[in-house]
Amino acid sequence: MTSAGQLERRIIVISVAFAMTLFALAALAVNLYHVGLPTCLTDIKPFEKGELITHSPTHYELHYVARMWTFEPEDVTVPAGSIVDIYLSAADVTHGLILPGTDVNLMAVPGAVNYARVKFEKPRDYQVLCHEFCGTGHQTMATALHVVDMQTFRARRQAAAVPEPSDPGYQVIKMKACLACHSIDGKTRSGPTFKGLYGRSEKMTDGSVITVDDAYLRESIHEPKAKIVRGFQPVMPKPQITDADVDKIIDYLKTIK
Amino acid sequence: MELSPEHAIEIEPGLKRMILIEIIFPVALLTLGIYHGLMQVLYRSGLIHSSQFLGLEYYQGLTLHGVVNALVFTTFFAVAFGYAVVRYYLGRPLNMTVAWLSFALMVAGTLMAAAAILTGNATVLYTFYPPLRAHPAFYIGLTLAVIGSWIAFFNWIPVYVAWKRENPGRKVPLAVVGIFVTFIVWLIATIPLAVETIFLLIPWSIGWVPTVNVPLARMLFWFFGHPLVYFWLLPTYVMYYTMLPKLAGGKLYSDFAGRLTFLWLLLFSVPVGIHHQFTEPGISSTWKFVHAFFTMLVAIPSFATAFTMAASMEHGARARGGSGLFGWWRKLPYLDRDRWMFSYLFAGLFIFIFGGITGIVNASYSMNNVVHNTSWLPAHFHQTVAGPVFLSYIGMSLFLITKLTGKEIKGKGFNVWVPYIWTLGIMIFSTGLFIGGVGGEPRRTNMGLSYTDPQSPLYHVDWTAAKILGSLGGTIMTIAALIYFIVFFATLFGKRVKQGALELIVSEPYHDEQIPAVQSLTPWLAGAVLLIVVAYAPPLIQTLRSNFPGAPPYSPDSPVPLNLGPPP
Repeated sequence: MTSAGQLERRIIVISVAFAMTLFALAALAVNLYHVGLPTCLTDIKPFEKGELITHSPTHYELHYVARMWTFEPEDVTVPAGSIVDIYLSAADVTHGLILPGTDVNLMAVPGAVNYARVKFEKPRDYQVLCHEFCGTGHQTMATALHVVDMQTFRARRQAAAVPEPSDPGYQVIKMKACLACHSIDGKTRSGPTFKGLYGRSEKMTDGSVITVDDAYLRESIHEPKAKIVRGFQPVMPKPQITDADVDKIIDYLKTIK
Repeated sequence: MELSPEHAIEIEPGLKRMILIEIIFPVALLTLGIYHGLMQVLYRSGLIHSSQFLGLEYYQGLTLHGVVNALVFTTFFAVAFGYAVVRYYLGRPLNMTVAWLSFALMVAGTLMAAAAILTGNATVLYTFYPPLRAHPAFYIGLTLAVIGSWIAFFNWIPVYVAWKRENPGRKVPLAVVGIFVTFIVWLIATIPLAVETIFLLIPWSIGWVPTVNVPLARMLFWFFGHPLVYFWLLPTYVMYYTMLPKLAGGKLYSDFAGRLTFLWLLLFSVPVGIHHQFTEPGISSTWKFVHAFFTMLVAIPSFATAFTMAASMEHGARARGGSGLFGWWRKLPYLDRDRWMFSYLFAGLFIFIFGGITGIVNASYSMNNVVHNTSWLPAHFHQTVAGPVFLSYIGMSLFLITKLTGKEIKGKGFNVWVPYIWTLGIMIFSTGLFIGGVGGEPRRTNMGLSYTDPQSPLYHVDWTAAKILGSLGGTIMTIAALIYFIVFFATLFGKRVKQGALELIVSEPYHDEQIPAVQSLTPWLAGAVLLIVVAYAPPLIQTLRSNFPGAPPYSPDSPVPLNLGPPP
């Protein structure tokens, strides 16, 4: 006759053996099938420029740079059926990158480069989000990733490719990181877009309407919280900036209509 | 609750006063922490489209919510409860000079950190990931508070040693084993935290060194960050094993199960932290897998606890006249106003079923890729730290207050419902956040300004169900907390009805096994140290050798790095 103690012991032995077998199988699967976790890329120097590199019509390398509070490049388009190797680097603080609808979920850690591979089967518009707190503009840190059919892709490719402006005002804007919150292409970020801003009539949070001119811009740069455009938050920090640089910015803003 | 009046003991007035302050101070702070919990769900659901409300900014409030609820309240409670357990079971007075030193450090540290947060100089969340930089007072304050809690623990060790000497061959009381394991885990876990703050963050945030090694800081943080959750959970387990069976009307099914659970947690609490870093670069997948393996092992004592508690409650219910295969469930004192502590412990145990299972999902290597940093995570840890941990802590705080002051509890009928209202709230809240999380909804995000604002180009229509359930559940949780605060402070300011004394609920064991392997802490502690070396030495060496370029400090409101010191 088996005593209760013996039975218990037998059940324990069987359970432990079962659990260990499952774990051994899991370990085997991880090694054989490269179950998708970000790989160690300690030997790659963090890159500072985001770009889409074409290896073949169906294989791309997408270098994302995460910075407060944008991803570079923005609005990437790739054809359906392509394999995309995503490399991710952080230019300032820690960020995250999640691509809902896929398994891509990466941390962008300053000093290191992260990696994930994804295959896009069908045309679809994805949203790429930052999912790690990265400062007061974190909630608007997102961009689009479009998967389109090959024909549309080719057509868009030819229309694209706008070179970076060489205007000295643009250089100031870039250096002072204004682009984190103000786009130059009409997109809404944490702050109003610069496109067509000069001369535009803006409604303020106090109800007044102001036409954007030199005086308003000068004040808004030096005292960011003095007047806030309706729909935006008073979150802009005071920049350290010379009057000469402010003039350059204003001259540049006049040129982008 | 007059369960065991014969168990009340007179204690020194100084110690009594200190335990009371260590409970009242964090409960008072908790009102602020819970207010910000409510604000989070309102912002996230898009009911508030703003970066701030009543002078406090969203991420500042989120930092306050995390620091107060998860770090300050829990640490103060664990220390106060530890004093109560050590004094009660080991029956010796404590060195009050050392005790007040520990107390002063904890209070001063907390006030320093709170000042930094409230003035907007530490909006870095409770995980304080560099290179977002907080004012040095934030890091120094938290470090002092931690050191204060160490000193409390050091104060208990001589009492323990003296008890062992006087009682050769006797088993150390189970609650004392639990509290000692709690603080050994805390001591081990806070060493890497202290290394992170003292050697990396404080010099860098003052401006003595220009950059910080971010991957190293993150590894040190999670070396602390996961054992931290067992530090929260262990005092709850002490209450489950030593109080719940008695409250249910029965005995603890197995004393051995309790001891094994505590010692197993001592062994496996620490070498698991990298499961928070599965999606990070710079750590090889081999070590990620090793930590996944250890994390599965640390789930075992929670299963053992679930079964032991079910068996103990069955014993109690049958003693109360329950019968049948499942019919005995009806005989538990769910709404017994005089045994209200049962409702606090039982409701937490129920929530933990879901919190535990979702934790296993998080630790499951590649499954984590779907949920990492999404709202799934706050849903999971609210079902653990804001479930069994929070409910048992606030329940025991109220219990100790009534006993130590000799006051009668006010609003008994409302009080017994608090845990059930909280449970309803947290189940709704978590369901919303689980659904959102699987769909990619990010955590720690003021979504009212973007993803849940129909006016925004980033508006995300998929997260509608999540935001409604999240804000509804969060509101119900706040109502439960509000009732609790009213009961707590009404009781505190009520009339004394008898002499205050220290009293704990004590369960007798049903099976009192004599198994030598679980009678000594030392071999388990040695095993724990060995596992930590195995699990952490190679990835730490890897990280140090990788020579990651350092990062300068950043303020959360500007993409331009801070210039702290004079230029070299």
